[in-house]
Amino acid sequence: MFAVHTEDLRKEFSLKKGLFERRTAVAVDNISLTVKEGQAVAFIGPNGAGKSTTIKMLTGILKPSSGKAQVLGLDPWRQRSRLVRQIGAVFGQRSQLWLHLPPKDSFELLAEIYSLEKKSKQYKSRLEMLIERFELAAFLNTPVRKLSLGERMRAEIAASLLHRPRLLLLDEPTIGIDVVARQRLRELLAQWNREEGLTVFLTSHDTGDIEAVADRVILINHGRVIIDDTIDGVRHYGAPKSADTGEPPDMQTLPALEKVLSDLFTAK
Amino acid sequence: MLKTAQKLIAVAKISARANLAYPGEVLGRGTFLLVVLYIFLKLWQATYSESGQSKLAGLSLAEMLWYLTITESMWMSAPKLAQQVDEDVRTGSLAVKLIRPLSYPLYCLSANMGERLVRFSFNLALGACIALALVGPIHLRAEALLMLALSVCLAFLLDGLGHLIVGLSAFWLEDTSGLYLIYTRLTMILGGMLIPLDLFPGWLKNLVVYLPFPYLVWGPVHLLSTPQTELAASFLELAIRQLACLVALSALVALLWQRALRRVSAHGG
Repeated sequence: MFAVHTEDLRKEFSLKKGLFERRTAVAVDNISLTVKEGQAVAFIGPNGAGKSTTIKMLTGILKPSSGKAQVLGLDPWRQRSRLVRQIGAVFGQRSQLWLHLPPKDSFELLAEIYSLEKKSKQYKSRLEMLIERFELAAFLNTPVRKLSLGERMRAEIAASLLHRPRLLLLDEPTIGIDVVARQRLRELLAQWNREEGLTVFLTSHDTGDIEAVADRVILINHGRVIIDDTIDGVRHYGAPKSADTGEPPDMQTLPALEKVLSDLFTAK
Repeated sequence: MLKTAQKLIAVAKISARANLAYPGEVLGRGTFLLVVLYIFLKLWQATYSESGQSKLAGLSLAEMLWYLTITESMWMSAPKLAQQVDEDVRTGSLAVKLIRPLSYPLYCLSANMGERLVRFSFNLALGACIALALVGPIHLRAEALLMLALSVCLAFLLDGLGHLIVGLSAFWLEDTSGLYLIYTRLTMILGGMLIPLDLFPGWLKNLVVYLPFPYLVWGPVHLLSTPQTELAASFLELAIRQLACLVALSALVALLWQRALRRVSAHGG
């Protein structure tokens, strides 16, 4: 089954231009893509490329202007209330935790909101597993405002996994986090994808995140898909033209992903 | 329906708990309440003395100060819901709340209710101590207090809807602060927070009873000074008017929200 399937998905915004005039801006320009369940996909592009708009259409927050979208077999806009029970989302700069209360309280509230049986064995074991894997025990009872950004983000991701979503959408989850904490988060996401079969759909400007978590890269710019390939496949785009002899390339000589993406982002 | 109610109670509870995180803020509000009530006492002492009457709008000076203690406690307990909704809309934080299996307006209303009940309880406890110290106790009937509690809950719900309407207007307006100022000042003046409606000119009082504002503040507190024989009828009339406002404002919020959802834009890249 497909976790995400879109056909010519498009989003236009009507913007004010002067006092009476309006102009149409195309944020997402007929994107067609398919993500299988269990895949880990990095959805990347420069600022304003249409990443967040696409994620918001996939979560049913935004209504597409045209085209089709199916997430876990559901139409996100029309069946949002059913879909939100099966997906988790982490928006890096927006917290779902209550700032003045410990993460434990936010978990309990989320359990109520998702109608999880708090007394059931299933819920208890899930919570215990999340606490253990995300190493939350040390600060489970500490108010969120007192946590480091890395600790907070671990709690954020654990909170978004509490209701056993099949698809996790992450929008810049490691933004502002130090190197060590970032590495730990990447490991956790990769582990969860590998061991639990969770489909991961990640946007990030950090190539380290992409290389550690994703097995596929979808690069968009100006609302269009430019590249849809594996990480090594993307690195080929940076290979010198003269090296294109039809022979399997030597991976050692290919440029780093960061360099390739930087060139692709700045290309007209 | 039952599950939604459970979710809303859970939101209200966590919101109430979050509000207890800062006892310093409660103390600050208490100090402010003391200053405000002292000024009110001096103003009304002068007014009673000038008028040469022992009762104004059916209230003695002590009853007037208690009236103001309760209205001020209600007023000061209002959380910044309109600004919160405005911020959610403008910054895109709305996205986090839209991916939950719970309606955003209902989430806001229950969080608002939880926070407000905690703040009101603290304000009232502090205000009562101040009023006792300044003018001493007044006679209060238990059944009037019970009716007051019920109508205050409805008043908070109505005010929450008012705030939600102001906040949701951020989908259409560049800046909602003007609308917020108008709404809060109308509540303050036409709601009878500063002056009981019985002291308004007849034409104005006859006019404002058709607006929701009196039922946010004056209506509930007025029950305390209503004669015993008229209490049940007054409470019933107030409850009917509050429920009518509740239906009208809920319909307006539902309409705004339905339209607003189509205007949600992708803030944040």
